[in-house]
Amino acid sequence: MNRIFIVAQSEFLTLVKTKAFLIGLLLMPIITGGAIAFQVYAQKHSDRDDHKFVVIDHSGVLSAPLFASADAFSKKNGEGATRTGPHFVPVPNDTSVALDDAAALGSYRLQLSDRIKAKDLFGFVEIPASAVDPNVETAPAIQYYTETPSYDRFPTWLEQTLNEEITRRRFDSAGVDQKLVKKLSVRADVQTMGLVTKKADGSLEKAKETDPIATFVAPFAVLFIMFLSVMSTAPQLLNAVIEEKMSRISEVLVASVSPFDLLLGKLFGVTAVAVLLALVYFLGIGYYAIYAGRTELVQPALMGWFVIFLVCCVLMFGSMFLAIGSACSDIKDAQSMMQPVMMLMMVGYIGSFAVLRAPDSNLAMGLSFFPTSAPFIMMLRMAMQPTPPLWQPALSLAITLATTVAFVWAASRIFRVGVLMQGKGATFAEMIRWIRAS
Amino acid sequence: MAAIEISNVTKRFGTYAAVNDVSLSVPEGSIYGFIGPNGSGKTTTIRMIMNILLPDAGEVTVFGRHSSSSARDDVGYLPEERGLYKRMPVRRLLRYYGQLKGKSVRDLDPVINAWLERFQLTPWADKKIEALSKGMAQKVQFISAIVSKPTLLILDEPFSGLDPVNADALKDAVLDLRRSGTTIVFSTHDMSAAERLCDRIFMIFKGQKVLDGTLDEIQSNYGHDTVRVRVTGGRAALAGFTEIDSVNDFGNYQDLRMSGDPQAFLQKLAQKTTVQHFELTKPSLHDIFVRIAQPTAEDMKRPVSGAN
Repeated sequence: MNRIFIVAQSEFLTLVKTKAFLIGLLLMPIITGGAIAFQVYAQKHSDRDDHKFVVIDHSGVLSAPLFASADAFSKKNGEGATRTGPHFVPVPNDTSVALDDAAALGSYRLQLSDRIKAKDLFGFVEIPASAVDPNVETAPAIQYYTETPSYDRFPTWLEQTLNEEITRRRFDSAGVDQKLVKKLSVRADVQTMGLVTKKADGSLEKAKETDPIATFVAPFAVLFIMFLSVMSTAPQLLNAVIEEKMSRISEVLVASVSPFDLLLGKLFGVTAVAVLLALVYFLGIGYYAIYAGRTELVQPALMGWFVIFLVCCVLMFGSMFLAIGSACSDIKDAQSMMQPVMMLMMVGYIGSFAVLRAPDSNLAMGLSFFPTSAPFIMMLRMAMQPTPPLWQPALSLAITLATTVAFVWAASRIFRVGVLMQGKGATFAEMIRWIRAS
Repeated sequence: MAAIEISNVTKRFGTYAAVNDVSLSVPEGSIYGFIGPNGSGKTTTIRMIMNILLPDAGEVTVFGRHSSSSARDDVGYLPEERGLYKRMPVRRLLRYYGQLKGKSVRDLDPVINAWLERFQLTPWADKKIEALSKGMAQKVQFISAIVSKPTLLILDEPFSGLDPVNADALKDAVLDLRRSGTTIVFSTHDMSAAERLCDRIFMIFKGQKVLDGTLDEIQSNYGHDTVRVRVTGGRAALAGFTEIDSVNDFGNYQDLRMSGDPQAFLQKLAQKTTVQHFELTKPSLHDIFVRIAQPTAEDMKRPVSGAN
C-alpha cells in the first residue's frame, strides 16, 4: 500500500509540476473568456465601415423611406472615434439610365456589379414594382446583389426595413388604421416555469420562471469540467508509460514494485490531478456564482456524486491508456491504438448535446447506462431538471464501478506483460490473449 | 549461504525456451560475471533473479528466500544505459527510487549526499537529468541502483560508453561495495572487464549454461593451445602453416589456436620470418566466448528469435 502511495505521489508531482499543467489549468478559462471577449469586441469594433449601396426602385416609393431609415441607422451608430457600428450609405441612381428599358437595365446592372468589384459600392438592391401591390398573390422578391454574401447585417436590416414599410402601405391601402394594427398584433410570450410546490406551512409556493443559466449553462458546465478533467489527465498516462518503457525505467520500477501496485499508483496519482483540476474550476465558478448572487447554483450534494463519477472515469480511461501504452513500443504505434479509446470518451460528450434537449429520452437513458458514457451523462442529468429518480444514478454508478474494476483488472493483465516487452508493439488480439493468460 | 541459488530453472516464451534447465549458485560477497551473446537468455535469467519473471520450472532463491517482495527490496538493478526520468531533478529521482525499495527519505538523504559528493555531482542535485552529460547521468543511474543499500546489485553493462575517468570511478565504487559485503552480478559484453573484475564467470548460450567457474578453471578447461606471436610481416607472414587452426588478429600481435608441437612450430616460423614475441598462453575469455558462440552455417540461415 505504501509503495502505491509513493508511486501515486511521484506521478502527481510529475504532472502538476509541469508548465503543461499550469497552461492546461488556465487554458479553459482563457479560451472561453477569450472567445466571449473577442466576440463582444468584434461586434463593437470590427464592423465600422461605410457600406454604400444603390437602389433600383421599380415601385418608385420605397427608396425614400429606405434612405431615411439608413440615415437613422447610421446616426445611431455614431461618428468618428465613438462610432460603434457600420453606416449604410445610400448612393443615388444614375438618372440617365432608362430603367424601363430591359437592355439598358441589363447593362446598368453590369455597370453596378463592376463598381462593386472595384470596391466603389458594397451592393445594390432591386425592388420590383409588385412590392407595393396590395393585391399581390405571391411574395415579391427583392434582389440584393453583393460580392460579400456572408455579411448578413445589411440584408437583415434591408429586409426588416422594407417589410415594415411595405406592410404599412398595404394596411393603408386597405384602409386599416396603423395604430389598430399595432395594437392587434401584440405577441404573446411563453414563459417556462418550474413546478408549484407546497411550503412547510401548507400554503403553496409560487412557481418561478426558469432561467437559461440554471437549465442549460450550469449542467453543461458540470459535464464539460468532467470531460476536461479526464481529457487533460488520463491520456498523459499513455505517454508516461511509453517513455518509461523506451528508457527502460519500467524495468527498474517493476524490480522494486509489483506491476499491479505500479499501475494502481499511476492511476491514483493521475486521479488526484483530475480531482484537483475539477476542484479548481468549481471553486472558481462557485466563487463567481456567489459573487453574482446566484448561490442556488452551488450544490454541494452534487459535488459528492461528481467526485465519485470523476474518479471512476479517470480510473476507467486511465487504465485503458496504461494498457495501450504498455503494449506499444513508441508514440506512433500508440496514437493509432488510442483512437478507439478517444472515441469511447467522446460518446459521452457528443451525446450530451442531445441529452440537454431531452433529458428523459430513451437515448438519454441508454447513454446513462452505457459504461463509458454513464459517468458523463448521468452527471449531466443530475445537474438538470427534472432530477432523475435515485435508482437511476445508483444503477449508473453500479455499472460505472463494475466497468472500472473490470478495466483496471484487464489493464493490469496487459500491463504486467507489456511493460517489459521491447521491440514490436502488440496488437489488440495479443492484448486480449494476455488478459486471458493465467 | 549463497546470495543467489538457481536450480534447474526453465523459462519458456511460447514454445521457445529462453532459459533451459540452468543451475547456478552465486556466493555471497562475490562479483559474478554474466556473459553470453544477445538473445541467449541473460536478461531472462536476470529478470528471474529480480522476480520480474517467474520460472516455468525449477526454483530461484535470493538470500535463501523464494521470489517475494521482501527479497526484491535487497536487490539493486542498473539497466543498460538510460533508466532515468529525463525531466526529474536528480535528488527527487534518487529519493523516489530509494522509496520504492521501502526506505524513508530521512534514511536516504545522507546516502544520496555522500554518493553525490563522491561522484562530484553535488552541484547538480537539483538539476533535471536531461541537463546532465552522459557520464554524469550514468553515475546518477548507478547511485539510483545502490541508494537503498542493496545486498545484491545487478549491473547491466555499467561501463559501456564511459570515458576512462568515469569508468574508473564506477569500477572503484563497485569494488568498494564488494569489500563492504555486497554481492554483485555483472552482465557484460566487455570480456576484458569481466576478466579483470569478476571472481567467477557464467556464460549462457542458447538458453543453456556453457561456462561457470573462475577464470582459471575456465581457461584450463580450454587447454593451452593458444600462442601469442608478434612477427615481422604480421598476419600475412602466418599464412601457409598447417599447424594453425585459427588466427585472432589484434594488429600488433596475433593469438593463434594451433595443433601440434609449439616448439617445432616456432622453429618453422623463425625460418620464415623474424619472431619478436612468442608466448604459450591460455586462451582469453574473448577467444573462449567466440569459440562457443561462433555461428555455425546452420545458424546463419535463420535469425535468432526470442526476448533479450
